[in-house]
Amino acid sequence: MSTETRTETDSAKPQQKAASKPAAKRKPAAAKPRAVKSAAVKKAPSKARARKDEVAARCEVLIIGAGFAGLGAAIRLRQQGIEDVVILERAGDVGGTWRDNTYPGAACDIPSNLYSFSFAQNPEWSRSFSGGPEILKYVHYLTDTYHLRPLIRFHENVASLSYDQAQGLWRAVTGDKVFEGRSVIMAQGPLSNASLPDMPGIDTYQGHKIHSAMWDHDYDFTGKRVAVIGTGASGIQIIPELVKKAGFVKVFQRTPGWVLPRPDFQTPDWNRGLFRRFPASQDAMRKALFMFHESMALGIIWNSPLTRLIERIGKAHLRFQVKDKWLRRQLTPDFRIGCKRVLMSSDYYPALQKENCKLITWPIARLSEKGIRTVEGIEHQFDCIVFATGFDVSHSGTPFPVSGIDGRQLNEEWSRGAQAYKSINVSGYPNLFMTFGPNSGPGHNSALVYMESQIDYAVRGIRALRDGNLKALNVKPDAQAAHNEAIQKRLAKTNWNSGCKSWYLTEDGFNATMYPGFATQFARQMADLDLDDYELIIAN
Amino acid sequence: MASIDLDKMLLKIKSTQWSLSDIDWDAPGADMITEEQWPKLKEFMADLMWIEHVGARAFAAMSKKAPTDTLKEIYSYFHAEEQRHANAEMALMKRWGMLDGDEIPEPNINLRLVIEWLDRYADEMPLYVLGTVVPMLEIALDGALCKFLLDTVDDPVCHQAFEKINDDESRHLGVGFSVMEMQGHGATYIKTVKMLAPLLDPRLLLGIASYFPLLNKMRDNIVELGLPEEKLYAAMEKFEKIGGRTADGRSNPWFQIIRQHAKFVVNRSNRIYHVPVDAMVKLTGYIPKRALPAVPSWVKELTYRPSA
Repeated sequence: MSTETRTETDSAKPQQKAASKPAAKRKPAAAKPRAVKSAAVKKAPSKARARKDEVAARCEVLIIGAGFAGLGAAIRLRQQGIEDVVILERAGDVGGTWRDNTYPGAACDIPSNLYSFSFAQNPEWSRSFSGGPEILKYVHYLTDTYHLRPLIRFHENVASLSYDQAQGLWRAVTGDKVFEGRSVIMAQGPLSNASLPDMPGIDTYQGHKIHSAMWDHDYDFTGKRVAVIGTGASGIQIIPELVKKAGFVKVFQRTPGWVLPRPDFQTPDWNRGLFRRFPASQDAMRKALFMFHESMALGIIWNSPLTRLIERIGKAHLRFQVKDKWLRRQLTPDFRIGCKRVLMSSDYYPALQKENCKLITWPIARLSEKGIRTVEGIEHQFDCIVFATGFDVSHSGTPFPVSGIDGRQLNEEWSRGAQAYKSINVSGYPNLFMTFGPNSGPGHNSALVYMESQIDYAVRGIRALRDGNLKALNVKPDAQAAHNEAIQKRLAKTNWNSGCKSWYLTEDGFNATMYPGFATQFARQMADLDLDDYELIIAN
Repeated sequence: MASIDLDKMLLKIKSTQWSLSDIDWDAPGADMITEEQWPKLKEFMADLMWIEHVGARAFAAMSKKAPTDTLKEIYSYFHAEEQRHANAEMALMKRWGMLDGDEIPEPNINLRLVIEWLDRYADEMPLYVLGTVVPMLEIALDGALCKFLLDTVDDPVCHQAFEKINDDESRHLGVGFSVMEMQGHGATYIKTVKMLAPLLDPRLLLGIASYFPLLNKMRDNIVELGLPEEKLYAAMEKFEKIGGRTADGRSNPWFQIIRQHAKFVVNRSNRIYHVPVDAMVKLTGYIPKRALPAVPSWVKELTYRPSA
């Protein structure tokens, strides 16, 4: 099915409809999907009443989000011969994270040769750690090379997603349109929503406010008094750039993070030439980088002698770059490395020590009309406050209401912490595949490596539906529970659960974010689609 | 004192913040300082300001050692609040024309030694040591000094500022005594011996060697300013009274040490204590400034300006 707009009601498309009988035939999971193919020939008479909503498109696979995950999924689906794909994108262009995060200094903290798809490598990276614009260019390159644009419906912000059990169709409602798909890949991104933090007095501040994920490129920082709130991954990239331009920068830090040097250098021409001519050399480089990052897991994910060694490197980096004892104390983390995201920067500490920069570690009491009042009683006045305060992370909810079989609500089921089967499927929500679902986050390796494993799993699932002529693949609740029990047991021994507060954990300390293992283990987890763990619902 | 709910205390601390700009430092009343008061008050305020600042640094160290996130955060607020008190006191000095331009007043040598010690060793000290010494310093020095100030100075702005400072201090003491009780809870022989072990730590001995003369020096200063020393002693006795109200408080060995030490300080006729400590005060007075390393950069964070 193509992606053209469809206005027919359900009754006009009998071949898309599934049986309206409340209980679809359920096939024992052990049986091979192919064996049920003939069942699909039988079509049950539809009792589904015609809906008033206009169906803008109905397709085999609906993808939500046109960032790395959504585009990558579309590429892989097509490579598997699944062409009937619609991508819903809330913005007017592709790029996701890299379209939205355009603050000065935005860059990836994973080497570019690893922060890219293995099936679409780019020999032209200009730096070892390329900046945001170049990564976005790569996303555009993927979109154009794989002709993905025709699949994308821009400005379609999904408001709700619901499963029509009778028809075996997912229905995404965006503003005034409805899109339907047999399967859905949720690729809206785990860190895609940002808002100004709920700080006392934030509305009283009369100066300019900028969030790192919604940068105001028209604002001229030259000579301005600027505050940066937050010293996480975004903050440490923004600060060195602002210090170059602004009159004065005050950096408000709540918790200092571990900062390791980032070996960022320009890629020599010969290197690019080599990668162009001998792609195998880039493969080898990618593998080497992958293995290096994998080895870091031993120190970052688990507490081991390597943890102490990496901490020593972090402390030596601090000592080497910061001479003042008190400033060093202010910048010394008091949690085990790995517990929060490890920061990578070689220019953050030097920037803090520039004449026109100052680190403030006093707690913030409130924002006032002119600036920020800290607990030591001083009002720090600014022309502009930059909020590098991160993203709205929902550990227990979903970005939009998702309702599954019998109207069950995903955010209700997740109210005590999100969980899924292998991070990708949730029982009761058939044919719904998630990228960066619960417990899929990497702490030491490229997110794109993890993403590829998830995408390929989803593609395998979607192929199984097609090959087996199945209406639905619904993961069994006990398989999901067993998976989560094992994951939580393993998580208890990791550095993430070692006592610090981070966005990885819920208020109650439940870790629904990270995958406790090597990327290799995650890839192995995602390598097999074990149909024994699913209820297979036959199309009839 | 019954143990307090630290979570509720943290919320209260967050909701009762004030800043220097809440006070009109140019309001009338600055001329109520008499000519006779002025030079004494100048020295007094400088000492007071430094004690607040030293207290601030101690809270910073305690924040690193706190056993729970809530207590950690409370101490990080107290650290900033003590600094706020020092800033407000500096703003009063500015109002009364006691600052030489933008210069921060010099700390006396005993304070200077305590600053040096705090900078070097405070972060390594166990919580129960600082957690007992700090309430003592707060109740004795802050309590007695602030009361004296309010009794003798009529300037309404001074009263306005100290009303806010005292509200903060009462919370500091509430938490301080509660933590002392927490540390004394379930005392066993082994726990007591463990808690006393730092007494053998040379770093702590150095701290004691700077703390003892500081108290005697402050007593001398107070006498010089015209405050009856009994008021200081009365404040120190309060420490014993409040800290020893519960069995948990009493079984904290550090409470017993500090309490016993306070008794020595209060008893002027105890020559075994006072002769050598007074001698130390005198001796430290001879330490040339050049001999001391540069002041740590946290000392330079003080400001009398409400906005920056």
